[in-house]
Parts: sequence; structure tokens; C-alpha cells
Amino acid sequence: MTEWCDVIAVADLESGWVTRVRMGTRLIAVYDTPSGIYASLALCNHGGADLCDGYFDGHVIECPLHQGAFDVRDGRPIAPPAPRRMRVFEARVQDGMVQLRL
Amino acid sequence: MSQPVVTPLTQALAEGKLTRDEVKSFMQRSDGPALRRLALWVAVLAGTTTLITLAWDSWLIWPAMFLQGVVLVHHFSLQHECVHYTAFRTRWLNDLVGHLCGLVIMLPHRFFRYEHCDHHTYTQLPGQDPEQVPMPQNLGAYLLYLSALPYWKTKFAEVARHAAGRLSEAELRFIPREERATVVRDARLMLSFYAALFAAMALSGWWGLVWYWIIPVFLGEPVMRFIRMTEHVGRPEVAQMSDNTRTNLVSAPWRFLCWNMNYHAEHHYVASVPFHALPRLHERLRDHIHVEPRGYLGAHLDILRQMRAARE
Repeated sequence: MTEWCDVIAVADLESGWVTRVRMGTRLIAVYDTPSGIYASLALCNHGGADLCDGYFDGHVIECPLHQGAFDVRDGRPIAPPAPRRMRVFEARVQDGMVQLRL
Repeated sequence: MSQPVVTPLTQALAEGKLTRDEVKSFMQRSDGPALRRLALWVAVLAGTTTLITLAWDSWLIWPAMFLQGVVLVHHFSLQHECVHYTAFRTRWLNDLVGHLCGLVIMLPHRFFRYEHCDHHTYTQLPGQDPEQVPMPQNLGAYLLYLSALPYWKTKFAEVARHAAGRLSEAELRFIPREERATVVRDARLMLSFYAALFAAMALSGWWGLVWYWIIPVFLGEPVMRFIRMTEHVGRPEVAQMSDNTRTNLVSAPWRFLCWNMNYHAEHHYVASVPFHALPRLHERLRDHIHVEPRGYLGAHLDILRQMRAARE
């Protein structure tokens, strides 16, 4: 089982928006949503743009380059040209820190 | 995906022209502005439709149909806003309205969406930007483009080709594999819709839609070609968004018709900003982008000047 890793303090998240976090060589997008914290790889699996610069509304992140969109809860593509599920990570909050299983 | 792509927005943030908070504020979407504008849009269409009816038995029907056509071809602008999902906050409304606009001007919505994605990725790069309008080589080519004849020839051939299940090499590049069948189906549905409409007119003997819709669209399209030329033609063929696109300052009626897309450089800078926020974004970026203060006419004077200079 993968270990939980601290990635960012909850207080440092952009409220109701998406926050970019770097973990080693990986860019992670952490989403503050009405139903909790979610996380995914930050680069769009269509054109490689950084989703953290995209539009975020509720549970939907939209790529800033082509407006393809994903549901951040399960990574499901909900608008083309997003071709397939994005990679999402299990997330939890522990002692004021967002933790992910990477 | 090992290397991140530098989007215009990433570039803008890196250049420090906009802060992240500003971008967030500009991006905020709402259904209200587009629904209010749509109500006025329908009222304008009702007005121009009435003009055609009043002018039915006189030569005045031709200017009336032209006016109607100018409004009808601007469904392109609304469809474009829907392509970016920025017209409405409610996503399905963008899809619905986008498809309806596409029916008005014979532009299948999903195909346009994929093509337009590539236009934003490769803006003004020859051979890569699928929507690039090349600089005309001479006055004849300039006038031919404005006639919209080449445009319609391309569009009819394109929709027919898609309906036949064929996609060009360039289209295979920008249409995701899993969406190719959808593009073909959309073209078939669109042609079926037009065929059913003409069959209904033939059966009923009432050909009114030809006068209220079809002829006006053909009369109005040169105006749309005139406007589309002003967006990029004559701007440098480079990837830098602040250089390769032109913003035109135009009067309120034109801004209404084009859904503020005269702020084209701002739109290319941050494509996720809705039409109603573009005037505010313009105030922030006006010193960083290329602005044509004389509007569409000024842009064409610039294009004609560059054509003359290239020949000398």
C-alpha cells in the first residue's frame, strides 16, 4: 500500500479553486471543492497544458488550452477534446495538511 | 506527457501581465449576461424578419435580407463563444446553443470545436493553423475572399466529405480518434436536417425560409469574411499571442453582434475569459497587445497597405 504524503497545508489552498503543487518531478493539481479535497496530475492528457491555469467550477476542471474538461472526483472526461480519464489520487486532510497517496 | 505546454495564459502569467487572482476574476462565468443578450438578439432578429415581410413585394426586400443576413452570420460569434464554453456557466447550454447556431450557418458544432482548438494552439502559424486566412497576394484575391465564394465552396465540400465518412489528413490530426465518428454523424444529421427542411417546403409550397434565412445568409457572409480577416490577417506569423492577433475597437452595435470578439487579442491571450469580461480584460492588456483603434475599416486599410507594400 502506498504511503500518505503531505503535499500542502489546507490553509495554503486557493479557496474553491485549483492549487498547483510540485512533488519531486510531478506537478499535482489539488482541488478545493464543495465536497472536499481532490487531486490529479496537473497536466492535461490531451495537449499537456497545465490544468492549474484552467477554469474550475464545482467539481469540473477545464483545460486552459482547449477547454476540454474533467470531473476531478474520478478523473472522468466530461467535455472533448479530453480523450480519457485523468490520473487522480486519493486525498485526505490530516492535522491541517492535505495528504495524497501518490 | 513529460514537458508542460506553454499556453497563452501560462505565458501571460509568466510575463506578469496578469496576476493569478485577476485571471480567476476574469474567468468567472454566469448564465445571466448571455441570456439577456440572447433576448435582445431574438428581438433584433424579429425586427429584421419584420422588415423582410414589410418589403416582400418590392426591391427593398434585398436590403432587408442583407440586414437579416448580417445578423444571421453573426451566429458564428455566439457559436464561437459556446465552443469555448464561456457563453454560459451551464455547460449543456453551450452545447445546445452552439449546435443550433451551427445549423443556422452550416457549421457543425463539434467539428468547429476541434478545428478551433488547433487554431488556438497554432494561431497564425502557416501550415498548422487550420483557420488561418492567408494574406491575399493581390486585390483580386482580396475581393474573391470577401465575396465568400471560396468559403462556401470549402464549407459545402467539407460537410459533404464528412457526411461521406472522409476526413482530411489535417482533420485527422486535430479530431480525437474517439470523436471522428461523431463528426461524421454530425455532418450527416446536418445534411438530413436541411434535406427535410427543403422537402417540407416543397411539400407545403411555402418557400419562405429561402427568403428569410437561406438568401440572407449568403448575402451576409461577405460581412463575416470582412470581419474574420481583421482578426489575424496582416499580423506577424509568430506564436507570440500579443503580436499575432489584432483587437479592433468598434462601435456598440458591432460589439453586440460579435459578442465582444472584436477584443480578439485578449481572447487569444486568455481563451477561458467569457465575452462579457473581455472589455475589462482589454483595459488590463491594451498596452501589451496590438490594438487597431480605427476598427474593422482601419484593419482593412492596414491589410491593403501591407498588400501594396509587398508588391513594391
